[in-house]
Amino acid sequence: MAAQLPEADAQVPSIALAPAGAELERPRRGWLRQLDVLVPGTIIAFLLFLFFVWPIIGPVGKPTGGNILNANIQPWSPGHIFGTDPVGNDIWSRILYGGRNSIEIAFSVQFIGLVLGGAVGAIAAYWGGVVDMVLMRVLDVLIAFPALVLALAIAESLGPSKSHTILALCFFSVPAFARISRAATLRLRERPFMLAARLSGTGTGRILLRHITPNVLPQLVTFALLGMGVIIILEGALSFFGLGVPPPNPSWGNMIFEGQGILSAEPRLVLVPSAFLFITVLSFNLLGDALRSRWSSV
Amino acid sequence: MTGSPALRLIGKRLATAIPVLWGVTFLTFVVINRLPTDAAQQLLGVNATQQQIEELRQKLNLDEPLFSRYFSWLGDVLSGNLGRSFASDQTVTSILSERLPVTLELLAYALIVSLLFTVPVAVLAARRPNGIVDRITMTLSMLGLSMANYVLALILVYIFAVQLEWLPAIGYVNPSDGIWPFIKSLTLPAISIGFPLFCFYTRLLRADILEQMQGEDYVVTAAAKGAGPWRVLMRHALPNSLFGLLTVVGLNIGTLIGVTVIIESIFALPGIGGALLEAINNRDILVVQGIVLVLAVVVVAANLITDLLYAVLDPRIRYGRTAS
Amino acid sequence: MELGVTDHTASVETEPQGGDRPPGAPLLELRDVRVVFRQGGLRVVAVDGLSYTVSAGRTLALIGESGSGKTVSSRAVLGLLPPTATVSGSIRFDGKELVGISERQMRRYRGASVAMVFQDPTRSLNPTMRIGAQITEAIRVHQKVDGKAAKARAIELLKLVRLPAAEQRFVEYPHQLSGGMRQRVVIAIALAANPKLLIADEATTALDVTTQAQIMELLRDLQHKLGMAMVMISHDLGLAASFADEVVVMYAGRAVEQAPTRTLFANVRMPYTKALLDAIPRVERPPHQPLPVVPGRPPDLAALPAGCPFAPRCPSARDLCRESAPPFGEGEPGHRWACWYPCGSDGAAPS
Repeated sequence: MAAQLPEADAQVPSIALAPAGAELERPRRGWLRQLDVLVPGTIIAFLLFLFFVWPIIGPVGKPTGGNILNANIQPWSPGHIFGTDPVGNDIWSRILYGGRNSIEIAFSVQFIGLVLGGAVGAIAAYWGGVVDMVLMRVLDVLIAFPALVLALAIAESLGPSKSHTILALCFFSVPAFARISRAATLRLRERPFMLAARLSGTGTGRILLRHITPNVLPQLVTFALLGMGVIIILEGALSFFGLGVPPPNPSWGNMIFEGQGILSAEPRLVLVPSAFLFITVLSFNLLGDALRSRWSSV
Repeated sequence: MTGSPALRLIGKRLATAIPVLWGVTFLTFVVINRLPTDAAQQLLGVNATQQQIEELRQKLNLDEPLFSRYFSWLGDVLSGNLGRSFASDQTVTSILSERLPVTLELLAYALIVSLLFTVPVAVLAARRPNGIVDRITMTLSMLGLSMANYVLALILVYIFAVQLEWLPAIGYVNPSDGIWPFIKSLTLPAISIGFPLFCFYTRLLRADILEQMQGEDYVVTAAAKGAGPWRVLMRHALPNSLFGLLTVVGLNIGTLIGVTVIIESIFALPGIGGALLEAINNRDILVVQGIVLVLAVVVVAANLITDLLYAVLDPRIRYGRTAS
Repeated sequence: MELGVTDHTASVETEPQGGDRPPGAPLLELRDVRVVFRQGGLRVVAVDGLSYTVSAGRTLALIGESGSGKTVSSRAVLGLLPPTATVSGSIRFDGKELVGISERQMRRYRGASVAMVFQDPTRSLNPTMRIGAQITEAIRVHQKVDGKAAKARAIELLKLVRLPAAEQRFVEYPHQLSGGMRQRVVIAIALAANPKLLIADEATTALDVTTQAQIMELLRDLQHKLGMAMVMISHDLGLAASFADEVVVMYAGRAVEQAPTRTLFANVRMPYTKALLDAIPRVERPPHQPLPVVPGRPPDLAALPAGCPFAPRCPSARDLCRESAPPFGEGEPGHRWACWYPCGSDGAAPS
């Protein structure tokens, strides 16, 4: 999982590259300074509401089983804000249900990655020695293994479905989290407070739980947030090959794939899911970035 | 004395690479064999009789147990023979030599272009943090990062191929058929891959440069000499930051290859990704194994070269300690 | 007052060495210098009204704990503070005002007029740049000389700082040298453009005691040879005793005592200075006695109490001390202090 965003908010350099005596403008009020978290956070909250709550309480049509007679209705028509697709499904409801699918998948993948990968990495780093070497080799294999092959294989043998997509994508996320967790734990291991804990006889399990976890967790959480975008995009990519959420269930990926063919004629079939994809990924990236710059100095 | 720490590093890396390669190929073998239908069924199609299938199976040695097939494959590989495709009877090696260069060319193009822009942009941004250039760069790169590369590809195709007709939408032109058409055929795919990469690398390098500039004492020493801000940035902070970038680029190569498969598909480029997909569909085990092996080798080699470059460029590794 | 402080000169003496040389023209004059840091709503006064003068050929020691403002005030001289810092007051070098000048003008002073040596030689040197290049850079920033001339001068400098095998070291990298050797390189870099003033910011703190002695001795010799003025920043009063002509003791961003070295040690006034003196380990002390350490911690500069900043930790603090801050005044000729109840005068004084 490559796209770990580096810090955008690096502090201003300590030597005076600006004219001597120049002051830095920083908003003083409390909530203004929290804007970098509040704006993406609000957008995400809104999107979550839109995808998970609105279809239940609001007037949203069905995402599948459309009538071919309703095909290709143009946007802003009554009942179909974004129009319909070539098979007659309402695009707006497909966007919402597709969004739900994408976020469910991405969240599950990141959660499993964080828990499993984080644990494996921390254990490998803490125990060191043979355990570390073996686990690292296994991780290397997983990383070098073309996960696409695996995804395809899983899709072919088990049939494409949401849970299988999650399984395939975990092959990306678990090793990535393990790498981060291992690096963080290694750094932690040499700190004086760790030595103190070990010397005072604290058991390994307790150390892992009380000392390592709280220190490594913030990094893993920001990594998880930053990775949400990557996973959502990847899931879309899998859909391209028919490996993600199986049609007729919508996912932004398969909507884009289906719209590809008639890009010139009906660009909205690609543009609308792309726009939602973009905004969602951007929001997660912004949130993850903002949290990371807050927690990195801890 | 010089060079020996570097050599030791290479040796260690090679030693760990072998089990990884073995693990990857074995895992692939197992996975492919677990798939519901096998090559014989795929080749003969739905209308084949059971007898025909069994005959073909025997001919392709598919009836032998998994382990013996794997080890005989291993043996063949070590003597240089990667086998033949079940579907087309082409040697795996020739398939590789046809398809692999396309993917590598695309990757190289994307990487070179992205890195070429990364360094100057990151330097300009880091020169005045929170200045105009910096803010614009950070905003645009954040937007670029959040774009899916397949979406970008489709948009680029729509603008440059369909509307403006400057570049081809699909298809690959061999360099032997003309350098310029070759480059044109790879440009849109390379940008699709390279642009998000550029956004990512730029943020990374800029952050690293700023980390050096704000946190490192040697930067203050350089400033105390009377060196100007450009000199401090370019001559002191930048070289030390490039290490971080190098590591990430090297480690990224593995995931990058996965990304190129999608792009290859959109642009109908005859690369290794397409070959892999075909082979999996055909249950063409030997082709799959060959491709996976090569890809794993590429990943391992990329990691190795990264380490090597580190060893060469970082004087701390190159020269080791000789002080009293 | 017999100190018995280990003296680092070649000859065996037990008296502070400073004060013997006649003062040259005042080279660096700080007058009421204030440095304020502003970041995100926080306002910290790191240096509050510091004044001192250093003349050519003399050494001034700036003594204090971490957070006392000694480093910040020195960085302010060269304009090496982050943009969050505002410097006010007057800093004059050779009669020319440095506060408020442009960055470009400041660069002409850095290295050529005033040079700095920093604490940690490992971190002060660029790890990926050869030592020779780091020295020639310091030369060529200020003078138009070709590579060969710069190299010759660099090797000359390396020999000046007594680095063995100078020609070989020229092409080596910092990690190939030991800590003491690296610090010599840092000094060579500082001297490259012939500065008239050298600021040594805890230059020996990161070194072991033997190397510390060598480096201090080297600095003193160089000062003699080159007629440089020196500002020596340290937390070690004992070091000041051996090498400085004048001492300024800082606490919480303010100067709390200032005097020529001999006067200070003979006649210490501020309880803080006294406490620092008492904390110096001494040979004649009876063994196994706990060292008299100043209790408590340095104050948080963002939340300074009213009154004397040292009052919370001062053994002779009284109500007046906590209510209002004592002025920094010349109680005796050449000797300034800021204390309502200084030692050795009226009022109960600690032993």
